[in-house]
Amino acid sequence: MFFQLLINSLIAGAIYSLVAAGFSLIYSVCKFVHFAHGAVIAFGGYLLYLFFSSLKLSFGISVLLTVVCTSLLGFLMNLVVYKKLRQRKASNTIFLIAGFAILILFESLILIFWGADVKSIGLIKISKGIELGEAIITPLQVVIIFVSLLLLLLFFVFMKKTKIGKAMRAVADNKDVAEIVGISAEKIYSWSFIIGSVIAGIAGILVGLEQNLEPTMGTSLMVKGFTAAIVGGVESVPGAILGSFLLGFAENFGIWFLPSGYKDAIAFIVLFIFLLFKPRGILGIKR
Amino acid sequence: MLQIKNLVAGYNGMEILHGVDFNLNLGEIVAIIGPNGAGKSTLLKSIFNLCQIYSGEIFFKEKNITKLPTHTLIQEGISFVPQGKQIFPSLTVKENLEMGAFVMKDKELIKKNIDYVFKKFDFLKTHQNSYAMNLSGGQQQILAIARALIQDPELLLLDEPSLGLSPKAMKEVFDKIVEINKEGVSIIIVEQNAKQAIEIAHRTYILENGKVALEGTKEILKDNEKIKSIYFGGI
Repeated sequence: MFFQLLINSLIAGAIYSLVAAGFSLIYSVCKFVHFAHGAVIAFGGYLLYLFFSSLKLSFGISVLLTVVCTSLLGFLMNLVVYKKLRQRKASNTIFLIAGFAILILFESLILIFWGADVKSIGLIKISKGIELGEAIITPLQVVIIFVSLLLLLLFFVFMKKTKIGKAMRAVADNKDVAEIVGISAEKIYSWSFIIGSVIAGIAGILVGLEQNLEPTMGTSLMVKGFTAAIVGGVESVPGAILGSFLLGFAENFGIWFLPSGYKDAIAFIVLFIFLLFKPRGILGIKR
Repeated sequence: MLQIKNLVAGYNGMEILHGVDFNLNLGEIVAIIGPNGAGKSTLLKSIFNLCQIYSGEIFFKEKNITKLPTHTLIQEGISFVPQGKQIFPSLTVKENLEMGAFVMKDKELIKKNIDYVFKKFDFLKTHQNSYAMNLSGGQQQILAIARALIQDPELLLLDEPSLGLSPKAMKEVFDKIVEINKEGVSIIIVEQNAKQAIEIAHRTYILENGKVALEGTKEILKDNEKIKSIYFGGI
C-alpha cells in the first residue's frame, strides 16, 4: 500500500508541477492570475485527440502540432485580451474575471466541438503494469514522471542560461528597471505566455494519455495547480513545483485515512490552510 | 553635448516642468538640485523618455532625441540609473550586468565591458555569482551604476544615487562618480544631497516650481546669499 501511494503521489505531483510551473511563470512575470491557463491545458488534451485519434496523424506530428497550437493559443490570449486590459490599466480583479471568462469560453468551445461525453485518446492499449514489490506502475506512468522531470529540468536551464529566460526573470524582479535597460516588458510578457503554454500543452497531452478527456478537465487541473502554487509560493517557480509534489503526497496519502472521494476536498483544505496562515507559501518572497 | 529647449513635461496630463532650458557640455558633471517636487527627476526622466513631454525639444550631439524609445537612446550613448538602488534582486551580480547589455549585439564587446567594470569595482567580480539582493546598500547602488556603464555611455544620467545610503557608502558612490567622469563620461546628477552634488559638479542647476531658478559654477553659487543659507548652512 505504501509504495503504491508513493508512486501515485509522484505521478500526481509530476502532472501538477507542469500545471503549476507554467501558471507560476506567467504570474511571476506578468503579475496577475491567468486562470485561463486551465483552458490551454484542456485544449492540449483535445487537440492531441483531434490530430492523433480523429485525423490519424502520426503520434510525433500530433504532439508537435498540439504544442505549437497551445503556445499560439496562450500567446493570443495575452495579445487579444490581457494586453488590451493592460493598456486600459485594468485592476487585478478585472484580470482575474477576464481569465475566468476565457476559461469558460474555451470549455464551451470544447463542448461545441467535441461534445460532453468523455473521450479517450487510446494510444496505449491497457498494458500490464510493472510490478515493483507490492506496487504497480504502468509504462505510461513511468513516461509521465520521466517527461515531467525532463521538461522541468529543460525549463530551468532555459530560465538560467538563455537571454530570454534571464530577461523573464529580470522583468519578474523589477519591470521598471528592465525597461530602463531596454527590455520591452510587453515582449517578455508574450514570451512568458508562449513558454508557459508550451508546458501547459505538454501537461494536457500527458493528462490526456493517462486519463480520459472531459471538457471541465482544465478547471479541475487549474484548481490543483493553483493550490500547489499557493502552497509553494506563487511567485517562485521552484516553489510551485515543490508545492505540486507536496499536494500530490497530501492527496494520495490522505486517502489512507479518508475515503478516496475526499481527494479533491484535501486539496481545498490545504489551499484554505495556506491562504489563511501562510499566504506567501513555503518559498514565498517576502516584500 | 546636450541641449534642452523650453521643455514642458509631466505625468498623466499634469504639468511639472514649465519651460526648462538646460545645457550640458562634453565632459561635464552637471548637478540638478532643488526642493521636493521642483521637477528634478522629471527633467532627468524626460531626457530618457520616461515621462510625458508636452512641448520643447532635446538635442544630443546635435541630434533631436525627443521621445525616442529607450533602446534607441541606449544605442545613442545615453544610460539612466534610476532612483533608489534599483537592481534585479533575484538575479546574480553577473546576470544584472548582462541585463545591462540587453540591447547590445556584439558579444565580444559585452564581455570586454563586463571585464572593465569587474576591474573597476572588484567586489562585483568577487560576488559575481551571488544574488544581488545579498549586496549591501552601497554595493547595490554601485551595481546599478555598473549596469549602466556596461552600455558604454557617453552621457550617464543619475537619479539621486545617494538615496538611502550611509554617509560612508555615499562618499564611496560620489568618489566613483568623479572617477567615471574623469574617464570621459559626461554626467547629469539629480540630488537631494545638494551640498555634495555642488561639490563634485562643474555646474549646477537649481530648479524651483518646474523652472530653472539659478544656474552656475560652485564658486558662483557659494557667493549667492540665498544658496549659501539654504545649502551650505554657514560656510
